[in-house]
Amino acid sequence: MDKLKKFITDFGLFFKGATDFKGRAYEMLESETKTEMDNFILICFSDQLGMPLPISYYTLELLPYLVDEIEDWDKRMGKRKSVWEERWSNYDLDP
Amino acid sequence: MAKIIFYGGKGGVGKTTCSTANSINYAERGLRTLLVSTDPAHSISDVLGIEIGRSIVRIRDNLDGLEIDPEYEAELYIEKIRANMKTILSNVIVEEINSQLDAAIVSPGTHESALFDKISDIIIDKYDEYDIIIFDTAPTGHTLRILTLPDLLEGWMGSLAKKRKSIVNMNKMVTRKYDEKDPVLEILERRQKRFGEIKKIFNNTDNVRIRFVLNAEKLPIEETKKAIKMLNQFDIPVDTLVINRIMPDDIGADFWEKKKKQEGEYLEEIEREFKGKEFIKIPMLDTDMSKSTVDMLSKYFGD
Repeated sequence: MDKLKKFITDFGLFFKGATDFKGRAYEMLESETKTEMDNFILICFSDQLGMPLPISYYTLELLPYLVDEIEDWDKRMGKRKSVWEERWSNYDLDP
Repeated sequence: MAKIIFYGGKGGVGKTTCSTANSINYAERGLRTLLVSTDPAHSISDVLGIEIGRSIVRIRDNLDGLEIDPEYEAELYIEKIRANMKTILSNVIVEEINSQLDAAIVSPGTHESALFDKISDIIIDKYDEYDIIIFDTAPTGHTLRILTLPDLLEGWMGSLAKKRKSIVNMNKMVTRKYDEKDPVLEILERRQKRFGEIKKIFNNTDNVRIRFVLNAEKLPIEETKKAIKMLNQFDIPVDTLVINRIMPDDIGADFWEKKKKQEGEYLEEIEREFKGKEFIKIPMLDTDMSKSTVDMLSKYFGD
């Protein structure tokens, strides 16, 4: 019975996602990925911002491969105007 | 039999002398032995009278030696990054990263990491080449640090790799490129695996022995107590203590005369070598360290 319930819920969710023509799902995934990338840059090189990092020596060798991501991070951090706006825009508040 | 022995103890108790003597003994018994100094103030060369450097040198039959130079190791590592960088990045960006790498060489923590990296390399790469590897470490705190680092670092690398993996998976959905490999994730996983290997070797108490050197004096005893207590917290047992400089039972006047004569020679050497410097001379006391002895010695520091 539980299995059947779960199947019906998943089935519903699938159609909800598949018929999401406004493209919110893709957008959300993209912005979430960017946030995660930014967080990753931050935890790899937090020593550059003054936070002690016991593994900073080991993340050095990642630098050459992370150049593009660091550039994007830099741009995004520079563009930030309102942290609150960013937060709220994650939720669909349109009636 | 233990494969790896760490010599620890308070500064000046004779760690280098004891670890060197121990490794000579192993070598004479026919075991292939490697003696590694991790103390930034290396003194194996001075004890043996042979120049030992940053790469492995043959000391005698069955005995090789090495004095790790963290600064050199850090430079090697950073040069490798630089070389690697030139093949994948444009010149402008290379310049920018170069300045960050230059800063890293002198940043705090770099030496410790470079030293630990070299220790890991030796343990993993030379494990089969030698029957026994003896580490002569710097004073106590340093030994504890080396032994507890693999656990800490494996954890860090593990969570970084996990985070990276989830990013890579999400990014694949966004870019719809599903078969791309991520070099960052590969590096992180390689590191994690390596730290894990060291951790496994250290955790197997049949593999690793810690020997503390101490003298029959107050301060070394106190420090050894603290060290053993701390190692116990990390489940690292210490089963051997080396008590150095015990006075002979049949001690007589000639023992002291010989000591006094040798001291005289060295005093002369000091005055000759450090000519022009001011000397503050403090006598040896027949009692050990205590509050009252320090008070008594204070009078020697007048003007």
